[in-house]
Amino acid sequence: MNTRGDRFSVIFVTLAIAFALTLAPLPPILEIMRPYWVALVIIYWCLETQDRIPLGLAFTIGIALDLLTASLLGLHAISLVIIVYLVTRFRARLRFFPPWQQALSVLALLTNDRIILLWIISLRGEPLPSMEFWLPPIVGTLLWPWLFLILDRYRGAMRHRSNR
Amino acid sequence: MVTANPVTGSRFSGPAGQTARLMLYGLLAVVLMAMDQRGHYVPRIRSAAGYLAEPVYHVVEWPVRASRNLYYQFQSRRSLRHDNEWLRLRLLNQKAELQRLDALAQENRRLRSLFEGAQSQQFEYRFAELLRVDLDPFSHKVLIDRGSKDGVTIGQAVIDGSGVMGQVEDVHLHFSTVRLISDPNHALPVQINRTGLRTVAFGTGETGYLSLTSVPREADVRKGDLIVTSGLGDRFPGGYPVARVTQIDREEGLSFAVLKVRPLAALDRGREVLLISTPEKHDEEADDAGTPSITEETAAEETDSEEAATEIAEDQAADEEAPE
Repeated sequence: MNTRGDRFSVIFVTLAIAFALTLAPLPPILEIMRPYWVALVIIYWCLETQDRIPLGLAFTIGIALDLLTASLLGLHAISLVIIVYLVTRFRARLRFFPPWQQALSVLALLTNDRIILLWIISLRGEPLPSMEFWLPPIVGTLLWPWLFLILDRYRGAMRHRSNR
Repeated sequence: MVTANPVTGSRFSGPAGQTARLMLYGLLAVVLMAMDQRGHYVPRIRSAAGYLAEPVYHVVEWPVRASRNLYYQFQSRRSLRHDNEWLRLRLLNQKAELQRLDALAQENRRLRSLFEGAQSQQFEYRFAELLRVDLDPFSHKVLIDRGSKDGVTIGQAVIDGSGVMGQVEDVHLHFSTVRLISDPNHALPVQINRTGLRTVAFGTGETGYLSLTSVPREADVRKGDLIVTSGLGDRFPGGYPVARVTQIDREEGLSFAVLKVRPLAALDRGREVLLISTPEKHDEEADDAGTPSITEETAAEETDSEEAATEIAEDQAADEEAPE
């Protein structure tokens, strides 16, 4: 059986890739559709590892993301903490949903996150964003089944390797 | 993997603990956001984090840089020669233009000295490139590849080939953060080039347009008018193009017109920028380097109501010209 340290290194690698995808330069048309990679990866690990992802870890990852993307400090932190809280709360049910139903729950999670972001934007007194603001959750949902498969395979491969 | 895990066990200790922790972290995040919004402590955290962020940015933009280098490697000699010729021609054209401008600048200086007005300053430009990293689209910031090693200072104005982009907000070792003029908290002292009417251009949160406040309803403004920096506030040197007027709303009953202007700089898709520095002012700028860079403009925004805005701009002008 693989150790806890192994598992964390696997999580770390996928998170690092998610961070890179978040920062990677894209043409403006694709940029407005960029899914919330870090949230997707964290949702996966919340569902699939047997240790719970502690809220403190989600908070720390969020702060790191805030500092890297120069967002308002605490913005991603609060969003990731809420996502992890919700997924942990409903983990038992979400895990055994068929893929399409799971994707719908991801849509709900990501949309909820967007609503929180909207609330923060309006608190700051910024103008409300246009309709394309709602694209990333949809793109994230469409990507979810594929991401799930890829991460599953990756995790399987890593486990296999550490068993040998 | 299936064995019982002490950590998993704790999940059943009750969701109340988890909810309490959610509240705690949520509160912490809200406090941080409020502190960031008000500019307390967070800028210092950001500066410190910049050193950790730098390698990450380099790793992320490495593929882009590598592919561009590869492209240069394989670009044919012919197309290079073609480019070269075209650029040489362009340079010649611009030199001719500049000669005429030189004469005008000379004349301007003479006239200014007649009026004992402020001498126009010599500016230095430094080339910088944007880092190939996409930040949060709501942050209205970009990163440039020059930092304190290259002598970048906080508050320096940043322009691109066609207009004003923003100002340096934070300087790290090899890169700096630039706040764009489209930031809703950013105010840029400008004037209408044709009439000299002074006003302030506020960011709107969208890169497509800025809004001009405190322009009297009856003021002489037309669609297509060029907006340039006025040089008030000492942050941006005067006379740089900012935007063109695209929409004027003169509503009955209001004493001010609502103007929308389109920034000339490519705020969302620029690649190369210029940093403006005023050689004789370096020391002064280093002194106030610790203060948040947009305070003076925002302070003006907060203190005066719409009516007072123009007067204050006039006062500022008077204050500025008095010592000289």
